[in-house]
Amino acid sequence: MSMGLIVLAVIGFFIIMLYNSLIGKKNQVENVFGSIDTLLKKRYDLIPNLVSTVQTYMQHERGTLTEITAMRAKAVSGNLSDDEKVDLDNKVSKMMGGIMVAVENYPDLKANQNFIQLQRTLNEVEEQISAARRAYNASVTDYNNAVEMLPTSFMASMMTYKRKQVFETAEKERQNIDVKSLFNK
Amino acid sequence: MRSLDELKNFYDTILYPELNVLEAHRIKARNKILIAAAIILPVALFVLMYIAKNASGNSLFFVGMIVFFVLGGIYHFATKEYVQNFKTGIIEKLVKFIDQNLEYSRNNHISQTAFMNSKIFNHNPDRFNGDDYVKGKIGQTNLEFSELHAKYITRDSKGRTQEHTIFKGLFFIADFNKKFNGKTIILPDTAERIFGQLGTMLQSMNKFRGQLIRLEDPEFERMFAVYGDDQIEARYILSTSLMKRITDFKRRTSRTIYLSFVGSKIYIAVSCLKDLFEPRVFRTMLDFTPIKEYFEDLQMAVSIVEELNLNTRIWTKE
Repeated sequence: MSMGLIVLAVIGFFIIMLYNSLIGKKNQVENVFGSIDTLLKKRYDLIPNLVSTVQTYMQHERGTLTEITAMRAKAVSGNLSDDEKVDLDNKVSKMMGGIMVAVENYPDLKANQNFIQLQRTLNEVEEQISAARRAYNASVTDYNNAVEMLPTSFMASMMTYKRKQVFETAEKERQNIDVKSLFNK
Repeated sequence: MRSLDELKNFYDTILYPELNVLEAHRIKARNKILIAAAIILPVALFVLMYIAKNASGNSLFFVGMIVFFVLGGIYHFATKEYVQNFKTGIIEKLVKFIDQNLEYSRNNHISQTAFMNSKIFNHNPDRFNGDDYVKGKIGQTNLEFSELHAKYITRDSKGRTQEHTIFKGLFFIADFNKKFNGKTIILPDTAERIFGQLGTMLQSMNKFRGQLIRLEDPEFERMFAVYGDDQIEARYILSTSLMKRITDFKRRTSRTIYLSFVGSKIYIAVSCLKDLFEPRVFRTMLDFTPIKEYFEDLQMAVSIVEELNLNTRIWTKE
């Protein structure tokens, strides 16, 4: 009788362990995703500053600057789904990259103290965002492993936990450089 | 970065004349030791034989210890002047040769506070000493390093003390080029190498160090285990390029290395069994090989700044 109770207690304990570890992993993923959100917001906050600094110099990129301001307004307005957030973030990243390349054509701007400081801050935020993405991918991998590997996979299917997607680099960035087309130019 | 050819040239023109003078000091010191040993050892042997007949093993051990310490003391005093001259004559010049901005001080070392601040070693040392302290600025990066030997002492039930080494080798501190708040510690990965997957599990249970941080560079993961208190910050510090640079550094030095990032500084401990930057007493110093070794050890420390790209200041930290 008491033997049966002990076995039952051990099984119960085991189930609780599995359950808790899954919850922990899921929360870790959400936690890191939250950090990415905070960092993205930090970057969005820099955009008005960037625009006001560069617009007096950059006459030809007026269109881009208006566009990025509009995107920022959309991003901070809230009520976006996670997928939309990621999508918008990709677009903003690309546009910011474009602006930074265009800066090369404006030596006065490049020497502007304000701009230099801003560039440093942006570099830092970008680096932090990339770190947060890597952390997110690591925690998603950890979570996915738990969802698919024994013995937690039993528990996961009971809790209807599904695999999550890792962050992927934008399609454009991933494409290999076509060397041949470079030479044909 | 100085090349080997430059060093050879420097050796021929500057160091060789110095070494010639030092050689006379060396021979004098060596002779003193040999004479002292020639007197003490026969006497000691005689006493030991006498005791062996009449007394217990314990006093045999006791006399052995006395002889050992007396010889050690004589060695120390006989070579003191020679070692001093060697350090100011050779090591200091080598340091200046590597970079004019570096200052050398032979008796100083990294402080115990700094050593403990690194959080690499948890054990509080009972004995802490070192020498050959170098300090300076390479580009925009402040750095300092010295040789260190930290030990702790245990006592067994019979009251005998025993010394255990916590760390022996070169300890390096530099300004890190990114701002951060928490701590990140990189230790040699022994558990994973021996136990594989199980090792990783054991590591993640080591809550004492903080969270285990699993990174995506498989080679880095094989060599090191990373602990920290912030998953994102650790990755902010350990960018993919820095991980690559650390693995390259580790492979090139092929020594056990520990790293940590605390309070906007990077700490690196490179362990080494032999004493660094010490002159030879029983063999001639008029040789390029030992000089090359001193140079390489110094260069290894100084080159960390370049190898880990610490002068790249594109982030908010100036």
